[in-house]
Amino acid sequence: MTMSRRRRRVLLPYALMAPALVLLVGMIYPFGLGVYYSLTNYWLQYPKRFRFIWFDNYINLVGEPLFLRALEFTIGFTVVAVAVQVGLGLAVALFLHARIPGRAVLRALMLMPLMIPPVITALMWKIMMASTNAGILNYMLSFLGIDPINWFGSTQGAVVSVLIIDTWGNLPFVSLILLGALQALPTEPYEAAVVDGAGPAAMLRYITLPLLAPFIVLAVTFRTMDSLRIFDVIYATTQGGPNDATTNLQIMAYQFSFQWYQMGKGMAQVIVLLLLVVLVSYLLLRLWNRAAERTVY
Amino acid sequence: MASPAVRTRNVVIAVAALILLLWTVFPFIWILLTSLKQPNDIISVPPKFVFTPTFDNYAALVMGEQRGQYASTRPDFPLFFLNSMIISVGAVALSLLAAIPAAYALARFDFPLKNELAFIFMSFRFVPFIAFVIPLYLLYQKFGLYNTHLGLILAYQLITLPFTIWMLRSFFMEVPLEIQEAATIDGCSWLGVLMRVILPLSMPGIAVTVILGFMFCWNAFNYPLMLAGRQTFPVTVGAIQFISYEQVLWGQMAAATIVAALPQLVLSLMVQKYIVRGLTMGAVR
Repeated sequence: MTMSRRRRRVLLPYALMAPALVLLVGMIYPFGLGVYYSLTNYWLQYPKRFRFIWFDNYINLVGEPLFLRALEFTIGFTVVAVAVQVGLGLAVALFLHARIPGRAVLRALMLMPLMIPPVITALMWKIMMASTNAGILNYMLSFLGIDPINWFGSTQGAVVSVLIIDTWGNLPFVSLILLGALQALPTEPYEAAVVDGAGPAAMLRYITLPLLAPFIVLAVTFRTMDSLRIFDVIYATTQGGPNDATTNLQIMAYQFSFQWYQMGKGMAQVIVLLLLVVLVSYLLLRLWNRAAERTVY
Repeated sequence: MASPAVRTRNVVIAVAALILLLWTVFPFIWILLTSLKQPNDIISVPPKFVFTPTFDNYAALVMGEQRGQYASTRPDFPLFFLNSMIISVGAVALSLLAAIPAAYALARFDFPLKNELAFIFMSFRFVPFIAFVIPLYLLYQKFGLYNTHLGLILAYQLITLPFTIWMLRSFFMEVPLEIQEAATIDGCSWLGVLMRVILPLSMPGIAVTVILGFMFCWNAFNYPLMLAGRQTFPVTVGAIQFISYEQVLWGQMAAATIVAALPQLVLSLMVQKYIVRGLTMGAVR
């Protein structure tokens, strides 16, 4: 039996997609199963108690003090981390965009923190952030008259440590996006501004930043998505402590499901995180669309 | 003679460049130094910049020998390195096999649900990994995939497949349509167009995609943390094994981080122009 040429032509793209679609089903199936578990009281140690409980896991989250603190930390950390990283990243990009000697070398070196495994980054800083004066960071700070900081042992220290480590690893991402954008900017507006007698500050404010806006929003979007879900760095350094000070939703879901084996509750927590990520990404991508439309050049 | 204002400006620039350089490079230098220290040099106050270097920590990594009495829990780093290689190469190869035809279809054919399918693949980028790891852990325990290379290669498709499809699609779309049309007029079938036009012309793009995909797999920590066991740990999970309740083996951990980061440092220089494009799945050129 031969298929008509036309029919084959229609089916061909799907045939080409087939292997990827098989893998896609293999990816969607566990996710669907997980969503189902989030509606059950699945507790690995008590399989006989398994029961479908509708939205109880979600409803009970509201009365769970740890959940509220984890939600607060997730959002608070993201806001601060993204602000710091995009602010500093923009500064670094503007700095490297100027004709600095050794710019190419600096640019290449900046790839290093970006591309090594985040958990390795965390371990490197863990070594440097030893809490006594044997820790190189505390030793260097002692020259500034700062007493040894208990980096991972105090609640504030732990939050700041995670922020510093995450920033070290991801600042280059923001810088490189914005540096690439800066180098692709059109020259005409600047030529016109020079004719009009505008100074560097005015050019930055009225030409560079508006033209960069879509890229800044894009950097914010990617950094926000990843900061909301930060796991590796926290796991390798503070494990969410001390006193749950660095427990975000992802760490909390990990603890519920892999330390206490309450898979149903863990899944419900992570679905809430997913909804948060989707909502924030949607809003940011809409902002990006608007910014991109405004800067058609 | 430069005016004082210009001189001041140059000094400020030099200081800023120095701070940026130190911030970026110093952690690597310090960890390298730490990895060459004896245990008592590591905990000395103040920290030592000058000391007698030793390769004991690296030797311990390679031999699997560990100082202290906890030999039963010693990390087997050469095995972890091999595991990272097997899983990363396997995952990228599987993704590439599935993604080449898929990306070709998405780049060069029009068919119903095309954009929806492309979006579904990208949407995996939004999902927190725990949402996959919980059900995968339970399924893997049941079907014998837990603590196997195959299980990890399949789980890593969550990292590599959407990425590979989107990157290849964007590279395939850059192949000029005119060349494809000329090949079609010369009698090339869809397979001929793929094999003789699209693939050869996108070779650099494919190479970049493969290298970046490999790097993302190498960096993966959270999937193997839950789905691998001692026989299949990659270097990322292996490196944290130097922290135990009894002690932290700082020197060996420093050596392990250097070894785990080394392939990334070499590869990232090879693909430096494309890293941003890779990290944004093609959104930023």
